Amino acid sequence: MMREQLEEIRRRAMAELADDAGEAQIDAVRVRVLGRSGELTEIMRGMREVPNAERPAIGQLINQIKGEVEARIETLSEKLKAAALSKSLNEKRLDVTLPGMRIARGHLHPITDILEKMLQIFESMGFEVAMTQDIEDDFHNFAALNFTPHHPARDMQDTFYLEGGMLLRTHTSNGQIRVMEKRRPPLAVVCPGRCYRRDDLTVRSSPMFTQIEGFMVDKRGRITMAHLKGVLTEFARAFFGTTAVRFRASYFPFTEPSAELDMHCILCDGAGCPVCKHSGWTEVLGCGMIHPNVMRAVQYDPDEYQGFAFGMGVERTGLLKLGVDDMRLFFENDLRFLSQFPALSGGVR
Amino acid sequence: MKLPLSWMRDFVSVDAPVEEISRRLSYAGLVVENVEKLTPGFAGVFAARVLNVEKHPNADRLNLCDVDAGQKGQFKVVCGAPNVKAGMMAPLALVGAQLGKQPPLEAAIIRGVRSEGMLCSERELGLSQEQAGILALGADAPLGGDVAAYLHLDDTVLDVEITPNRGDCLSVLGLAREVAALFAARLRAPRLRAAHSAGSPDGARFTVSVSIDAPDLCPRYAALAMTGIKIGPSPAWLKRRLELCGMRALNNVVDATNYVMLELGQPLHAFDFGKIAGGKIIVRRAGDTREFVTLDNLSRTLDPNDLLIADGDKPLAIAGVMGGLNSEVGDCTGTILLESAYFEPMTIARTARRLGLRSEASYRFERGVDRAGQVGALIRAAELIRRIARGREASPIADFEPRKAEPREIALDLGAMESLLGAAIPPTVARSRLKSLGAQVSTRAKGVLAVVPPSFRSDLAEQADLIEEVARLGGLEDIPALLPERVNPLAPVNREREFLKGTREVMLGCGLTEAATIAFIAPADNARFSGIQAATRPVKVTNPLSAELSELRVSLMPGLVTALRFNLNREARAFHAFEMGKTFRMDGDAATEHHHLAAVSYGAYALWAIGEHSVAAGFFSIKGILETYLEAIGISSRVAFKALESADAPFLHPGRSAIVTLDDAPIGLIGELHPAEAMRLDLNDPCAVYELDLSGLIAYGFSPRKTFQPPPKYPAIRRDLALVLDRNFPADMVVKAIRECGASLLESVEVFDVYEGTAVAAGKKSVALACRYRAKDRTLTDEEVNRIHTVLIEQARMRLGAELRQ
Ligand SMILES: [Zn+2]
Repeated sequence: MMREQLEEIRRRAMAELADDAGEAQIDAVRVRVLGRSGELTEIMRGMREVPNAERPAIGQLINQIKGEVEARIETLSEKLKAAALSKSLNEKRLDVTLPGMRIARGHLHPITDILEKMLQIFESMGFEVAMTQDIEDDFHNFAALNFTPHHPARDMQDTFYLEGGMLLRTHTSNGQIRVMEKRRPPLAVVCPGRCYRRDDLTVRSSPMFTQIEGFMVDKRGRITMAHLKGVLTEFARAFFGTTAVRFRASYFPFTEPSAELDMHCILCDGAGCPVCKHSGWTEVLGCGMIHPNVMRAVQYDPDEYQGFAFGMGVERTGLLKLGVDDMRLFFENDLRFLSQFPALSGGVR
Repeated sequence: MKLPLSWMRDFVSVDAPVEEISRRLSYAGLVVENVEKLTPGFAGVFAARVLNVEKHPNADRLNLCDVDAGQKGQFKVVCGAPNVKAGMMAPLALVGAQLGKQPPLEAAIIRGVRSEGMLCSERELGLSQEQAGILALGADAPLGGDVAAYLHLDDTVLDVEITPNRGDCLSVLGLAREVAALFAARLRAPRLRAAHSAGSPDGARFTVSVSIDAPDLCPRYAALAMTGIKIGPSPAWLKRRLELCGMRALNNVVDATNYVMLELGQPLHAFDFGKIAGGKIIVRRAGDTREFVTLDNLSRTLDPNDLLIADGDKPLAIAGVMGGLNSEVGDCTGTILLESAYFEPMTIARTARRLGLRSEASYRFERGVDRAGQVGALIRAAELIRRIARGREASPIADFEPRKAEPREIALDLGAMESLLGAAIPPTVARSRLKSLGAQVSTRAKGVLAVVPPSFRSDLAEQADLIEEVARLGGLEDIPALLPERVNPLAPVNREREFLKGTREVMLGCGLTEAATIAFIAPADNARFSGIQAATRPVKVTNPLSAELSELRVSLMPGLVTALRFNLNREARAFHAFEMGKTFRMDGDAATEHHHLAAVSYGAYALWAIGEHSVAAGFFSIKGILETYLEAIGISSRVAFKALESADAPFLHPGRSAIVTLDDAPIGLIGELHPAEAMRLDLNDPCAVYELDLSGLIAYGFSPRKTFQPPPKYPAIRRDLALVLDRNFPADMVVKAIRECGASLLESVEVFDVYEGTAVAAGKKSVALACRYRAKDRTLTDEEVNRIHTVLIEQARMRLGAELRQ
């Protein structure tokens, strides 16, 4: 009798706890079957009337049914929760293709970018960096560099003069003099900086531009013209990624012998085009062995010391490297140009 | 220097193609900038002599000529040119000749007479627009020879860039010598000997006297009088050569002097001898002579040190620069004086530069002409003038050299050469290269050569110069490329560079893009953005490019706001940028330079995203950037921001700007642009800026801390307080006052809110502060902290005269 009753409770509960049972139905079953005055509690109360011999079996059955119903309710509740969560996750879905929230990092100026790359190459070859002055006197910008007072080479570097008699350096070669005056060899130094010449700002020229001067000095015989060729060939390889370079004799008042370094024209790769005047080559930098008169100007004995020096324009070299052809781009600060440059200084070549 | 190869071949024969000649010259330091290949505009035209001229039977203006074209035969030609004469040499176009783009020439019947060819004008040959008559060829034209070849029309012209040290290459002979040296070819230098006919046949002889009063500026002066001159146009071949070299033909005498200058490098000047008082030349400084009218009819103001060529009465020329109107060779000149001198380069350079007068002559004198080439050039010129202007020498060559050239023997130590070049060049090679340049080479000692450079190479002054010549003639190809041993095992770090690099890194991280602007600005911009220091005096450029660029910037600000405007004009909606660069100012009498950092921030700045509000640039956004930076350097505790008196920086908003101080010394400015300034720049939103003088900061660098503490072990307890203060009382003073109360265990004080409104009295504000208390050795109790905090509140209230906000 009681057993049938229990079986009926189980059957009905399980039927109601079907897979699609909702939260209300589950709660109703829980209260009716398992509640404080639920069906199973009622039967427990009636146990006194059950013969002693049957009690354990009935009790076991009650516990079994209770366990089954609880487990079933647990399973269904989990399922409902999972469904609810999944529904809510779906509602909070974002369009992940929209832009993120950020403070944009700034961009390096291309001149800085190029200059840093150049300096890093020279630093890795053991050169130290020296910073020198823009406002200079005639001695450090010209006389000590073997420009005599009316030297025709001065015409090539039309100079800005300032009130008070000073001038704006026309090249970073003054750095060579400034450093050598203060120190004794051995020296391996690069001097970056701004230079000034009386040229209008045009596609090809600017009254202010950037140069790197480099030099190495040591006892006679230790730094030779072969080393000059080696260091600059290595530089061209690291910076431009080319070994197609040539050295050509040239003239600068402060070097003897003097040379210019050319590399294969970037546009035609040496085949010859209008930009390189069909020579296949473009000029990269000027260099040479430091002139004995420069050594004398800084109180070095030219019979005891020798070395090389070189100088290059950063904007000019940059135009070659970047493949753009307008000097004004460097000083207009057009964000549409600047934003193409890296947001991290140095590091990556 | 333009080098017509046909002219060069007068002195050297080289088989190599023009590309190879260009390449070797370029490698040796004489860059060939351009190669121009010229072709004549005609063919089938031959030099012919006019034998006989008679009137055309049927036309008054036409002549019928018999002409002899040597091997080509004799022809009858109709000619309408007024200048046709029996005996003259002229270009004859034969049947089949190609003249310009015309169809081939055919025989024609002209007024009933058959013409078997055509005598041509310059225009018909495409040489010039000249068509007044037929072209008269020189008597030296080869009978029946090809006129194009005779006129050097089939030619190649190299444009060679000559560096300032190579004055000797400013001549055809000089470049021919280089080519000969580079190709180991023989140079056929002209042999120049004085002519025999010293004196004119009619017996008139002239004496030329020369007195050199300034031998320091003019060590040698040679002159020659020539008479019987018939001024007229030069022959076509000579004109052609001048034109190929970029010079204009003028008259035969002047052209002859220019021709010799181009050929040998020695500038010559021709005076009208009749205008030289007493035939006496005086080479002297200008001294008291203040004014002089040059050939171009301009009055020139002289410097007492300018070198003049004068006679006993008056100046005749500014030596080496320009002749005078008073002694110019003109159409009626019959007797001339040819001058050939060596002037010191410095004096010519100085005078030419001062007067702004650059001529082919001064250009060569400045770079140094052949120290011994004066007489040779006179002989060459005399020869030409005899030939083309019927002149005859009317005096011996006067040659004065009050200061002899110093003997120059340079020792070349072959060991030193090897140690400079890093390459061993065989002594025989070194010798032959130096000899090919015209140097005398002998052996002084073992491994040492004695080298006497030629007189035209004044640039060869010491051993290094000779080493360069040896290396150069090998195209630098004897020298290998090697890496040196490192001079610095580890290159020392440059603090200034590291600092600037770190500064740049912080700015980039804060979202500012790096800008670069030009250091030259207008005085108005310097007045407007007057820099960090009050009463800064800008540096004036003595020779500016324009009034708009006549001063050096005292501030980076004008450049940055220009860049802002530039970008806004090009669709940009926001602009956040910084610049690191030098600014300049006068300190007393001295122009000085200073490293500055400046930034400009305009428009939406931070944390922009769709559906979110962005932060607009303003005082606090840019102050945050500056604070980030100061913290990165580790000096933020020593920096203060003080409200600015508007007179200090009139371009800043008076209520939204501050002076930045380090240890109470001003180092910068920060603020929003003054509304008037913003209006001038046509800006609709606030524009925040700052500028910092980095000079004083570089010493601090980005050096890391030396000592460190572990994080605290025990928790802090926070107690807040709110004080009611005058509206203008600065928050940092409140914090400072509370810190000065010296409460024990007080770790930090921070402002976390400021309130102005109905809950406080007008003109007041409430400042809410968070105080954190912490002990190193234990967890504090509430009671302990409450006791300390209550005392602190009382002290702060009294110190600041503030109300406590309930
Ligand atoms: Zn090319």
